[in-house]
Amino acid sequence: MNTKKTMTLNLTEQEMEVLESLSTQKDLTKTAVLRQALRLYQLVDARLAQGGKLFFEDGQKKKAELMVL
Amino acid sequence: MRVIVELLDHQSGEFIEAELFDEVTIDHFLETQREWRPVVTEAALYLAKAGAKPILVPRHFHWDWTKKEADLRMLAITFYGLGCGGALQGLMKLLTVGHTCRLPEQAGKPLVYVDYLEAAPWNIKPLMNALGKAPRYGGIGTLLLEAAVQKSKDEGFKGRLALHSLPTSEQFYLKACGMTAVGRDPAKQNLLWLEYTPEQAERFITRGTA
Repeated sequence: MNTKKTMTLNLTEQEMEVLESLSTQKDLTKTAVLRQALRLYQLVDARLAQGGKLFFEDGQKKKAELMVL
Repeated sequence: MRVIVELLDHQSGEFIEAELFDEVTIDHFLETQREWRPVVTEAALYLAKAGAKPILVPRHFHWDWTKKEADLRMLAITFYGLGCGGALQGLMKLLTVGHTCRLPEQAGKPLVYVDYLEAAPWNIKPLMNALGKAPRYGGIGTLLLEAAVQKSKDEGFKGRLALHSLPTSEQFYLKACGMTAVGRDPAKQNLLWLEYTPEQAERFITRGTA
């Protein structure tokens, strides 16, 4: 297993509420939610860097391109 | 991560030491293309020409692990290899983002998705039997799936796991592994989506230890 490093995270009350809500909803620890977010961010960023595009599709199969930082 | 595990040597009938590891490199991908793919392709052609039942003809002859080289650097992707006798005997790719549970009781929750799981062709019993040969090692699929369940637990997903099974492997995942068939997926060549709840995953990795 990889060695883990500890860091202090400063979040606003609202950000903490969202983190806690996602943690409950997804049945994950808050650390696991943040790890998931980092993995997803890296994956999406890499695909975009390769020229890929990210879309959301609604119920009518209409696609909307998602802009990512 | 490197751990010693045991594979069944079908020739001697005894268990022998093997190594399960997550330090997979491009060399392992190249090994699959060099050593595995020609055998799978040849077997698929032979069986198709011989009129074998479609369920016996391997559907993964076109897989190419070398195309996944960039995935080695992704946090969301983990590879596991299984080595024995100086050769790669099994390889698996897991995703920890991008898929969520579909079983109603855990719908929307995160899981580990088994994107690819492949045993070296000489270890696939039905394939070798169809070719009139004996398989070399047994237990590769089971050991890799156990590693995937453990990964799910390590990630905080409590063992939740899913995969799309090739038709040739459906009975393995249903009967030997105790997964639940959720349904055919039109978005994935109509392959069967199978899933573990935490309880099923626990039963799978602790079977025979009670």
